[in-house]
Amino acid sequence: MHPITRLMCTSILAVLSPLTWANDANAQARHQWHEGIANGYEALSSETADLNMAARKYCNAPAPDSRKLLEAAWLDAFLAWQRVRFVDFGPVENNNLSWQFQFWPDPKNLIARKAAYLIGNDEPITPQVISQSGVAVQGFPMMEYLLFDQQLNAGDHALPAARTCELLTNVARHAKSNSDELMDGWQAFRPHYLETDQYHDTTIRAGMAALEILEERRLAQPMGLRGNGKRNPYITDAWRSGNTLMTVEATVDGLRQFFLPGLATLLEAMGKSDLATRIRKQFSEVQQNFPGAHLPMATALNEEDQFRVLQSLYVDISQLATLVNDQAAVALGVVRGFNSSDGD
Amino acid sequence: MTSMFRPAPLALTVTALLTAGCANHPWSAEDSQPATKASVVNHYADLAHANYEDALTTARALDEATDRLIANPTEANLAAAKEAWLAARVPYQQTEVFRFGNAIVDDWEGQLNAWPLDEGLIDYVKADGYQHELGNAGATANIIASDSINVGGETLDVSSLSPSLLADLNEVGGSEANVATGYHAVEFLLWGQDLHGFESGSGERPVTDYARGADCTNGNCERRGEFLDAVTDLLVSDLEWMVAQWAPGAGDNYRAQLTAADANEGVQKMLFGMGSLSLGELAGERMKVALEANSYEDEHDCFSDNTHNSHYYNGQGIQNVYTGTYRRVDGSLVTGPSLSDLVQQSNPELDARLNNQLDASMEALALMKARAESSENPMAFDTMIAPGNAEGTRIVNGAIMALVAQTGSIEQAARDLGIEALSPDDAGHAF
Repeated sequence: MHPITRLMCTSILAVLSPLTWANDANAQARHQWHEGIANGYEALSSETADLNMAARKYCNAPAPDSRKLLEAAWLDAFLAWQRVRFVDFGPVENNNLSWQFQFWPDPKNLIARKAAYLIGNDEPITPQVISQSGVAVQGFPMMEYLLFDQQLNAGDHALPAARTCELLTNVARHAKSNSDELMDGWQAFRPHYLETDQYHDTTIRAGMAALEILEERRLAQPMGLRGNGKRNPYITDAWRSGNTLMTVEATVDGLRQFFLPGLATLLEAMGKSDLATRIRKQFSEVQQNFPGAHLPMATALNEEDQFRVLQSLYVDISQLATLVNDQAAVALGVVRGFNSSDGD
Repeated sequence: MTSMFRPAPLALTVTALLTAGCANHPWSAEDSQPATKASVVNHYADLAHANYEDALTTARALDEATDRLIANPTEANLAAAKEAWLAARVPYQQTEVFRFGNAIVDDWEGQLNAWPLDEGLIDYVKADGYQHELGNAGATANIIASDSINVGGETLDVSSLSPSLLADLNEVGGSEANVATGYHAVEFLLWGQDLHGFESGSGERPVTDYARGADCTNGNCERRGEFLDAVTDLLVSDLEWMVAQWAPGAGDNYRAQLTAADANEGVQKMLFGMGSLSLGELAGERMKVALEANSYEDEHDCFSDNTHNSHYYNGQGIQNVYTGTYRRVDGSLVTGPSLSDLVQQSNPELDARLNNQLDASMEALALMKARAESSENPMAFDTMIAPGNAEGTRIVNGAIMALVAQTGSIEQAARDLGIEALSPDDAGHAF
């Protein structure tokens, strides 16, 4: 062995004892993450169960009240999904559950095309048809389309038309069944997650990727801060119902509840309590934008005084992303990998 | 029941090899080996130059073939122009690996290869078979049928169709789907809208769309010819510009900047280009979205049904960069110091694995190509992604999984070569 190599290996041995201590923190962080995400998945499961019931009730007895309850149930369930959306590993990868919950973005309006096809033919819409119809049909954006799309609502197929109700109730049932599968899968995944060191980096990278997507694709791009500079509400989440910024708030809230505790544990174990405190503080800075920032994206993009509200939110989220993705990740030795948002 | 495949995760996790550095540290003994980071980056520029030269040569052949079609619109000349277009795609798709990481390419390529496009901007479309981008005010402008178009309240004079006007019209109204230029605009002008959906068959534009006088179909044949002439001329001049950027011996082009900079930056660009094309773009945007949503709107070469080749040659480009080899359109081989040589020096096991994975993904893409080009019962990409097509799903998923697997090793190679960050921002602003 070359002297320099021997020296390097000795220096690795010299830092082993703090590493052992850090291992306890690693284990603790993974426990915190597992439990937090389990809570998030439980909420998703319970909200989609409510949504499923609300869809059934409305389609059995359509009335303004039951419609209002249904729309609220859709939003609650979608926000529950937004809180756990950052988890891009584990059971949510099975059968592509993540894309089934939310096919996004949809620049070519595939959802409208799929809905028109399913509503327009004579074949009964069964759970099996939903299973075979692809991710554009299977989740929250399809239900949002059926509930809120202006063009659809102005036509003959507007809810509670029979075929549209059939599609809505079957998609709601599909989402409920997927969220149950996800929750059960997450519990079964527990021992493997806790035992496997690799999930330390995987979980941190999941939070990093979620912040990057939030900053770049969910805010900067629609705001026209990237590419050709055009403001475009249609590439945001939930533009049809005007709830885009509530979904942003929910994603940040989910990261704060389910991701931050484990991250802070790791930083504190490394003597980086200051950084942990700054990250916590930045999460509350972002949250202070709400409820002021609860405005439809189209309004925020079209009216200059409202655009300032959006800019302030964007700046706070960028700062959060910098703290987590640059400073914390570097401190924890986590390197960004390729992810699905690479490319154009 | 739905097929129970398990799509590969797109967010990769790679085990940190914390202890692997002791025996095979990447710094050790590097200087005694023939390949250095500097020589590898230099050869990468050679590869890019040869590849763009081929793209230019084949684009010139396409330009000449379309000129003949415009002058003499016969079935034979339309077929020859289509053949020339297909041939031009072979080198161009291999260059896409240079796109991510080299901002100069990424900023330029929209004018050549933007997709998907709202073809109603260019020419007539069948209304009920046409789904355009949400909020695109130019989606049905039909430049060929108009002397002036109005996009989002702005009126533009399009009475005289020149290459520079078409370049100005690209992304008119701020929509990326407003593609007036590049390979896919030419593809649409040769093939026309593909109205077959998931069924077999591509676009069926009649050659009489270019006929003179009373034989002209769908109106404005002369204008259509002018558009095709201008758009192919622009393609050639755009490629001339990019060839010059990579040419050796010039003091002030991109190649000079790249090779003068820290070689680590060049190596990072190479790896970033490979990984981004492999995972996010090819496996993700171009295959997984199309497959999982059963969306032929997300098909790459949708008018000509040549998507399998676009994917295949994208994959080939990734392998080219790693191995430092490129088979030119004249059959000659370009070779030189490669990333593979560098990784081999520090981690032969990783190098062997990544080479095997690159071979495996090329096999998976070759299967897709072979199935699409099969003489009996061919299955094009848009048929593979149809709901319930188990065989097609298997083929596309096989390619996706192979690309995902190789991307994991690309990340590992980056670490092995001491490249710490693969962030696209660093890649875009390094110069």
